[in-house]
Amino acid sequence: MDFVGFLLTQCLNAFSQAAVLFFIACGLTLIFGIMRIINFAHGSLFMLGAYVGYSTVAATGSFWLALIVAPIVVGAVGIAFEKVFLSRLYARGDGGAYLMVTFGLAVIMGEMIRVIWGPHPHGVATPDILRGVVFLLDQPFPKYRLFLIALGVIAAISVWQFLERTRAGLLIRAVSQNAEMVQALGTDVQLVRTCVFGFGCAMAALGGVLAAPMVTAFLGMSASVIIDAFVIVIIGGMGSFLGSIIGSVLVAYVQVFGAYYFPNMALAIMYLLMLVILVVRPGGLLGKEE
Amino acid sequence: MNWKVGFIVCAVAACVVPFVSPNYMLTVIIEALIFGLFAMSLDLLVGYTRLYSFGHVAAYGLGAYTSALLLLHFNLPLPVTIVLAVAISTAIATPIAWVCTRTHGVSFAMLTLAFAQLGYAMIYRFKDFTGGSDGLTGIPRPEGPFGLDFFQSKIGYFYMVLFCLLGSFLLCRALVNSPFGTVLSGIRENEAKTAALGYNTRAYKRVIVILAYAFGSLAGALYAPFAGFASPELFFWLISGTVLIMVIVGGSGTLIGPIIGGVFFLMLENQLSEVTDLWPLIFGSVFIAFVMLAPQGIWGILTARFKKPAVLPQGGADGETTSAPS
Amino acid sequence: MPLLECRGLTRRFGALVAVDSVDMTVEPGEIRAVIGPNGAGKSTLFNVITGVLAASDGEAFFMDQNITGLPVEQVVQKGISRTFQLTHLFPELTARENVRISAQARQPGRWTMLGGAQVLQESTTQADQALERLHLSRFADVPANMLSHGDQRLLEIAMAVSQAPKLLMLDEPTQGLSIEETDRAVTILRDMLSDGDLTVVLVEHDMEVVFKLAHRITVLHQGRVIADDTPDKVKESNEVQQAYLGGFE
Repeated sequence: MDFVGFLLTQCLNAFSQAAVLFFIACGLTLIFGIMRIINFAHGSLFMLGAYVGYSTVAATGSFWLALIVAPIVVGAVGIAFEKVFLSRLYARGDGGAYLMVTFGLAVIMGEMIRVIWGPHPHGVATPDILRGVVFLLDQPFPKYRLFLIALGVIAAISVWQFLERTRAGLLIRAVSQNAEMVQALGTDVQLVRTCVFGFGCAMAALGGVLAAPMVTAFLGMSASVIIDAFVIVIIGGMGSFLGSIIGSVLVAYVQVFGAYYFPNMALAIMYLLMLVILVVRPGGLLGKEE
Repeated sequence: MNWKVGFIVCAVAACVVPFVSPNYMLTVIIEALIFGLFAMSLDLLVGYTRLYSFGHVAAYGLGAYTSALLLLHFNLPLPVTIVLAVAISTAIATPIAWVCTRTHGVSFAMLTLAFAQLGYAMIYRFKDFTGGSDGLTGIPRPEGPFGLDFFQSKIGYFYMVLFCLLGSFLLCRALVNSPFGTVLSGIRENEAKTAALGYNTRAYKRVIVILAYAFGSLAGALYAPFAGFASPELFFWLISGTVLIMVIVGGSGTLIGPIIGGVFFLMLENQLSEVTDLWPLIFGSVFIAFVMLAPQGIWGILTARFKKPAVLPQGGADGETTSAPS
Repeated sequence: MPLLECRGLTRRFGALVAVDSVDMTVEPGEIRAVIGPNGAGKSTLFNVITGVLAASDGEAFFMDQNITGLPVEQVVQKGISRTFQLTHLFPELTARENVRISAQARQPGRWTMLGGAQVLQESTTQADQALERLHLSRFADVPANMLSHGDQRLLEIAMAVSQAPKLLMLDEPTQGLSIEETDRAVTILRDMLSDGDLTVVLVEHDMEVVFKLAHRITVLHQGRVIADDTPDKVKESNEVQQAYLGGFE
């Protein structure tokens, strides 16, 4: 039974990692779908979320409050950025300009965070109720990771149902199909873009807060997570929501099992996976080739 | 032949630099020239073909590690090694270019990034060979061929780098003004139309990606023997973003602009990071300002006053009347 | 030997048959118009012949060579040049540069990477000649995006003409033009075709344009050829009247 227990905990581990990755990847893919922007600053917004979460916990002692405050603050930052910079670039129709402006933002935010919070990592305490482990087939497994899995599943289902069932969700899908048409039908496409951008940033912040108790809030966290998120979005197909879920799970599994079985190759396997998928399907698993 | 005069003046002025610059500055200047060469190689993709590579650091790292390994294991004369390193890097770049040019736009940017990351991962994977996170140290600069050894001194190395930079500039300039370069500008403006005119655009893109890698790897191959070491940092993805910034701020699609961007960026970084630790904040803001307000870059601004704006002739020699453009 | 021969050319989109076993033969020196109501499959036929879309069935022969399934760029290299229904240009480049890139496409030296001044010189000469033929010489140094819509359409034709094609395919050359612009374009086109060195297949909506230019007309209706005759005969045909002219203004 040892091996089954080991397999079970490793699988759950991968799922909890997938949950964190999903929070950042789903915002990235929604933003791409609707604006054709690859948001380079998404990892920095994730990091900002973690730091705001840390400060909230430090000030109020409540992790739950941090889960609310961080997305609001970071969502507002995202909306301001979209309004001030990105919205002025739509007319230019040059995908490279977005890539570069958001890269500039990533650089600036990384530096601002260093100035405000200092260069040292900040630990965030796991809330009491989620501390400790449960035993699954005699294998200990952290409660907090189970909580992450649950939250990830809830978030994925909610966003999916929102996109499928509500009027606003329909509008978002319509804009990603054909923005000009929706504009012509009398909808304020600009508003939809701003909202989706803000929402994507808020989701990234949520991911940041959730990751903080496991890895602390530290300055390098944006770089590692943004590359993972890119890989996920490309594997899943850019702009595909379902693709971002599948991509998150795939990448998390490759990371967890890769690190165990091929510790030397763990990093490389993820990129190899992505290259193979892109060579076979240049648009990603669920994406359309443009 | 105005530009030739400008080129010779700049080349002569550059030759004087080692005699007027303090010794410690010369190190920075050499690194800056190498980075200028690296930025120029990216301009072939970004400025002339509108292929946004976010993994151009792979070319740099590839060139640096290949030359470092060759020098450590074979101890061939430095110039021979550099030529070999560029040849090997170009060979490695060929399949990479083949895969990357299957896509375009954002996918292209992300694929190039993936290859750069793969290179980064490989450095750690084969650490017996590459030194892993410690990198490779003690890279020699063997003399020869024909007993040449001027590059063993710092001033000599400066001239070698300057020679490579100016030579590459002339080559790239001829390239973008050739029939081949004309096709690249077509791909930049409208790839579908270029294909419809009878060009195999994917083949052209493949070739320019390989060439950009070749020139980028030359920059890397010059860097490692100068610094005396090669570390995984040379594959770090942020450098790809930084060099893209230099291209844009300098003025993409001009070759000379990115060189200026690269040289000034490195010199400024060196100077400013001594007085303020907010340097990334400043350069991030400057970069955003350029993308938003002056996408033509420094060189574009400098030369704007010499360019006549295009005007639409009204009425014509053949006596026809035309409607004004809407 | 016919220049272009389509045998049972078919293109399906799911259940829709956009082009339905079209047979068409174009002789050298001919000006052929393909007409038909909206959705008759004219542009689709163009796209299938030129390799933009794959044929579902049937074959196309150009100078007795099977060109079905060749990629776009190879079709051009055989000697077929075309324009698009929606103008496709290089917006930031000047009119001369636009045409020059086009002219260069059929030169053996198009891959020259260093030097190549002679190739450039030659394609510039060809470009200037093509601009001249379409009365665009005075716009040679103006960026394409500054030209009026009418001149942009002519510029795209100049690009195709500069390749000295054996067959020129024009997809709605007067699309979106005002009445005056159309008249001017037709005059220029007729002038250009009077040299008699070009074989042309054109898709056109405007019947007046068709009758002024074409030697022979193929009428498509719901993807099928319902008439293939001289302009006068087509005008008189009952079937055509019903399918098309009756419902047209």
